[in-house]
Amino acid sequence: MMNQGGMADGVAAFDPNSLEKHQGEDSIQPHASSYYYPPSSSGGSWSMHGPDIYTRDNGSYANANQNQDQLVDVTPRNAPDTQGATAVASGPSSVETAVAQDYNSYTSYTSADPYGYNNNAGYETYYNGYQQQPNQPYSQQSSQPYPQQSNQPYPQQSNQPQPYSQPVGAYQNTGAPYQPISSFQNTGSYAGPANYSSTYYNHGDYQTSGGYTTDTFSSQTNTWQGGQYATYTSQQYPNYASDATAGYSSTVGAAASQYQQHNKQWTDYYNQTQTENICAPGTENVYVPSTSTVSCPAASASSGYASSIQPSQFSLSSRPESSTSELTPQPVSASGDAYNAYWKHGAQAYQAQYSNFTQTSIDAKTSYQNSQYQQNSTSTQVLDAPYPALHQPPQSYQLPSQPASQHFPQLDVYRGSKLQIPTNPRIASNLALSLPKTNKESPATASVSKPAYISVALPKSNNKASSHDASDSALKIGMFPQSLRGYVERALARCRDDEMKMAASQAVMKEIITKGTADGTLFTKDWDTEPLFPLPTTDVMNEGSLFLTPTSSKSRSPSRRAKSRWEPVSEDKPINKPATPNSEAPKYSGWSKQYSVGKLENRNESGTSRFSLTTQKISIRDSQRPAKRRRNGTALGAVENGEASSDSDKEQDLTAYYSSAVALADSPDERKKRESRSKRFEKGHGNRSVKHHFKQKNEGNGNLYTRRATAMVLSKNLEENSSRAVEDIDWDSLTVRGTCQEIEKRYLRLTSAPDPATVRPEEVLEKSLLMVQNSEKNYLYKCDQLKSIRQDLTVQRIRNELTVKVYETHARLAIEVADLREYNQCQSQLQALYAEGIKGCHAEFAAYNLLCVILHSNNNRDLLSAMSSLSFRRLSPESRKDEVVKHALAVRAAVTSENYVLFFRLYKTAPDLNTCLMDLYVEKMRYAAVKCMSRSYRPTVPVTYIAEVLGFLTSTEANSEDLDGVDECVEWLKAHGGCLIEDNSGEIVLDAKASSLSLYVPEPEDAVPHGDAYLAVNDFFARKPV
Amino acid sequence: MKKDSIDMGEAERRITEYLKRFYDAVSSQDGKALSHLFSFSSLSLNTFPDLNRVITQSDEYADILLHLLRSLQSYRLRNLVESYQAFEKAANAFIQEFRNFESAWALEALYVIAFEIRMLADKADRDLAASGKTPEKLKGAGSFLMKVFGVLAGKGPKRVGALYVTCQLFKIYFKLGTVHLCRSVIRSIETARIFDFEEFPVRDKVTYMYYTGRLEVYNENFNAADQKLSYALAHCDARKEANIRMILRYLIPVKLSIGILPKTSLLERYSLNEYADIVVSLKRGDLRLLRNALQEHEDRFLRSGVYLVLEKLELQVYQRLLKKIYIIQKQKDPSKAHQIKLEVIVKAFKWLEIDMDIDEVECIMSILIYKNLVKGYFAHKSKVAVLSKQDPFPRLNGKPVSS
Repeated sequence: MMNQGGMADGVAAFDPNSLEKHQGEDSIQPHASSYYYPPSSSGGSWSMHGPDIYTRDNGSYANANQNQDQLVDVTPRNAPDTQGATAVASGPSSVETAVAQDYNSYTSYTSADPYGYNNNAGYETYYNGYQQQPNQPYSQQSSQPYPQQSNQPYPQQSNQPQPYSQPVGAYQNTGAPYQPISSFQNTGSYAGPANYSSTYYNHGDYQTSGGYTTDTFSSQTNTWQGGQYATYTSQQYPNYASDATAGYSSTVGAAASQYQQHNKQWTDYYNQTQTENICAPGTENVYVPSTSTVSCPAASASSGYASSIQPSQFSLSSRPESSTSELTPQPVSASGDAYNAYWKHGAQAYQAQYSNFTQTSIDAKTSYQNSQYQQNSTSTQVLDAPYPALHQPPQSYQLPSQPASQHFPQLDVYRGSKLQIPTNPRIASNLALSLPKTNKESPATASVSKPAYISVALPKSNNKASSHDASDSALKIGMFPQSLRGYVERALARCRDDEMKMAASQAVMKEIITKGTADGTLFTKDWDTEPLFPLPTTDVMNEGSLFLTPTSSKSRSPSRRAKSRWEPVSEDKPINKPATPNSEAPKYSGWSKQYSVGKLENRNESGTSRFSLTTQKISIRDSQRPAKRRRNGTALGAVENGEASSDSDKEQDLTAYYSSAVALADSPDERKKRESRSKRFEKGHGNRSVKHHFKQKNEGNGNLYTRRATAMVLSKNLEENSSRAVEDIDWDSLTVRGTCQEIEKRYLRLTSAPDPATVRPEEVLEKSLLMVQNSEKNYLYKCDQLKSIRQDLTVQRIRNELTVKVYETHARLAIEVADLREYNQCQSQLQALYAEGIKGCHAEFAAYNLLCVILHSNNNRDLLSAMSSLSFRRLSPESRKDEVVKHALAVRAAVTSENYVLFFRLYKTAPDLNTCLMDLYVEKMRYAAVKCMSRSYRPTVPVTYIAEVLGFLTSTEANSEDLDGVDECVEWLKAHGGCLIEDNSGEIVLDAKASSLSLYVPEPEDAVPHGDAYLAVNDFFARKPV
Repeated sequence: MKKDSIDMGEAERRITEYLKRFYDAVSSQDGKALSHLFSFSSLSLNTFPDLNRVITQSDEYADILLHLLRSLQSYRLRNLVESYQAFEKAANAFIQEFRNFESAWALEALYVIAFEIRMLADKADRDLAASGKTPEKLKGAGSFLMKVFGVLAGKGPKRVGALYVTCQLFKIYFKLGTVHLCRSVIRSIETARIFDFEEFPVRDKVTYMYYTGRLEVYNENFNAADQKLSYALAHCDARKEANIRMILRYLIPVKLSIGILPKTSLLERYSLNEYADIVVSLKRGDLRLLRNALQEHEDRFLRSGVYLVLEKLELQVYQRLLKKIYIIQKQKDPSKAHQIKLEVIVKAFKWLEIDMDIDEVECIMSILIYKNLVKGYFAHKSKVAVLSKQDPFPRLNGKPVSS
């Protein structure tokens, strides 16, 4: 996730320059998004019941065993993954082995997993140096066991896995910081590759069949939508597209785009891509099985290509999100949470279930998105832009899903891209790029060619989209159903360009959501499948204009690159699939890319179709030769990555998009730069998002409620504020609402956002307060409890009479034990609360405040303000007659006039807490008094008198006590340098004259050098560092 | 339509004239004329055409003028917050220009800006507070003026203006209750050897001394407060009665606490009647009167910050009372006059309807002796205060009561 964030940034950086150029890319994004959306109906089912679908799909494949195997495998895989997470270096190998075993057991699916491994390895090698593929244990091991298996069932898949493996390798290569992630990724990739391939296959088959393709798309899209908004969708789209290309040219194009995206991502953001990959693998695995089973073998080959690259990941991830958001798939969501946790901590391996994988991947992606979002969030426009972009893509996709209307969808996409372009540089660029390409292609090669272009552009667009999505998600993180978010985004994306439309759509959305919240369907509704409401207006004119402009200027670079990479393969795609894999696969590590590039050039016009073909070929080859595949895949991935990076550096935006075109061009320097760039954002954004997710995961289902609640609020907010700046968000509505029912809770200073599951609502807090008030336990316990109550109140922004009561209770307790630090905290809070007009014992605490100021401040201004707060004007006559207030005022007068007699009289008659506060001043007052007496009295002062006047005697009557008090007074006087003598009658008296010169203030016994005994720094100094 | 267009034409004409005056003032370095152009009160531009169109032509001072006129526009529309924001921008732009001016000819205009921004911020804060938002504009104006002070505080002819800005800062800080912020400015003014304080304009000197005198009152640094406030009083324009009254409000308590009583005529002339009873109580040794007076005007004294100062006058009242007892005793029996029995004092308090038992009175006697308001000692056994035969009640003579 962190990596992704970095990538997004990198993209952003590039974007400005390439905005226009990228317009074509932007168009690509729209396509991707459209993919998401169209499948809403079927997708909904996916997201909701990802696991179920999976099984079904398997069954359809006739590989019921496979499904089961996969499931079983998943658990083992998870375990390995976790291990890998814990120990990056060691983990990978072990994990891989385990996974490999699992895979072996699998039939077709297992092969997919190996692919994933291989891919990772390839990436690693790529990163290290393209040639180093074999070095990494992961890639080798995994590739060996898995490739074979994978080849058997899904030759094509193997190709796809390669890209993944490369990222992993990169991680390992990069070193410590990333290693954990890489290990994760590896695990993810294990599961993922298989899934990917399967999903792709399915798609391909569907597309070939015609009606099938659309269905698969829709389902996938649904899942995607739910899970990932921008990145996910985009990636997924590419996958889809690839699938389609396998079956049909249009789909192929999509796949190609995915590839490019992947490549770019990888190259640009090692870290990011890796993280994404990791996520994706898990998700892909889960979902892929189902898709793969459904789809035919042939289709799978081509589709596997695309899917393996990353699309599958995306789709998977998206699904998990949707499921979580929807809340319907309890197992899935739970697993997803676990996954998130796993990601974050890398500790736990719950992911036995596929659902877990998918979810985790989703979460990771979401978190990634979030991080990106945060980055984006700085500029409100950016946020807005992401939304629209996303929305638009979905729309366009919908069109593509329908075979006949593919061209039209593209056009729509174009519109969307153009519209987006002005608002958000990044998005716009992406859209624009994708669109132009599509346009060119579409005319030249008809449906097939267009898709390819789109697909090419899509990768980049996907990245951007992902970033946007991330931003979106950041806004709403876990607040409301992802599917709903996706829905909103889609809706808004449609009218990205048109403000009027936007406003209208917002209004409509608002209605929808308020309605949803009103009738409680907001969280139960399958927003992924929910059809978008009709747009207020149509943008035919815009479309046309967009069409022309983007294609001409921006399509160029995309087409070139696409050609170079993909052409050879693309031509082959239908026919080559079977043949090419065998021949090409062996050499392919480095070759496949170049190969494809060459072909692509030839087929610029029919770029999309070629694209798909190339992907297919690669996948086929990989599948056929597992070991080689790995190499090939890694090589391919590496090449792609390298190309992408080099492109981006050189040509910036455009090149980045067409990273594939510039095979091997990337320079180490550029890579480094990118790496550092991507790293910049990892920690901050990535971590944050991760934390957030983690928490939510931990909370489990219980959190879902709160999430929903917050989400509802947020969604409302969003709708209302979608056009507003981030700063305008009403944070009140984001306030946590606790669900914890525990009356007792230990105080723990928050180091992150509060978890609703551990926050107590007001009713419970009331009970807690009562409990504390009636508690017999000591102050430390009560203080701890009260602090936790205060924290819960603060976190929930509860500021009412209960709050006042809590602070008053704590302040009184603190005064009792002279805990001035807590008292001061409470006092300042109370003053603010009273100032807000909340009722409480205002006068009482004003009195305490006055006493405190008298005793501890030598600032006359403070004293004046404290006094004026007790003056007639501020206090009602009744409260001024309050004993505490009167007493405090009297004490104040006694202190300022240095009237010790009065002071100690007041001390004796003080209300409880005033006594406690006065206690703190007694020593000072006594010393001043004795000093005064020693100056003014001659010749002597009887100690009994001093003891009486200075409050040593607790009562004026009891003799025994008097004696004790006198003794105490004698001790005190001696300690302060008083000269005590016996007069003629034997009474102990103070020699005033002698004492006047000898009095001093002794060092307090419990004095601490720094003045605060609480800090007790000495303890630390005393201890020797071990 | 027609009327509107006429108005627009008229407005544009006025704007153009305003711009012309501005450029004339700048080119002729006429600070006075320029200062008028910054003064909201003297401007009568009611309608505003498209400012961008009018002003973009004039490139040099466009920043100043554009924001200034926008500020005026918002001001006329009673949008004080926006007006303030625009004015601050204009002021910032002006500061940039002012920095580059060789001479200090534009000081006059700077004064107006410093004044206007404070007033505007104050009004904007009131608006903000009324709408439930945090009033922060005055604070912002304070930091702006701090910047201005930085521009002026250096060497050179512009330093003359530093004290004016300092005074505006004082006003802001006193209003905000962030008096501690005054310290750095004061240090800069008082430690600068390159510029004699006397070279500042008189009005600024008086204001400065008034505020620093008040600060000294807060700190109960009576000698310094007396010196500063006396300076302010001496240099204050005799015709500015309100200013004199403000100074006296602090100077009188200070003088009282160092044993100097004002004439009743002075209090009457400046209607400072709240001090009248206190002065009388000091003369009579009437503790009750003092306490009543303090209670009566408690709120006022608390707000102005002299309450604690006045409360400390109690000791002088005790002294006066003792002195009266002493005099009476002396008249009765000069040989024993220097021995005052506690019960006599208690009785005296009772006559004043002040309930004090013998321990308290003993304590007060002890304090009086300790504070050197009474010379002598107290004999606990016999409960008698033994006064010195020489000057038993030393006068303060301009020195505060020792603590």
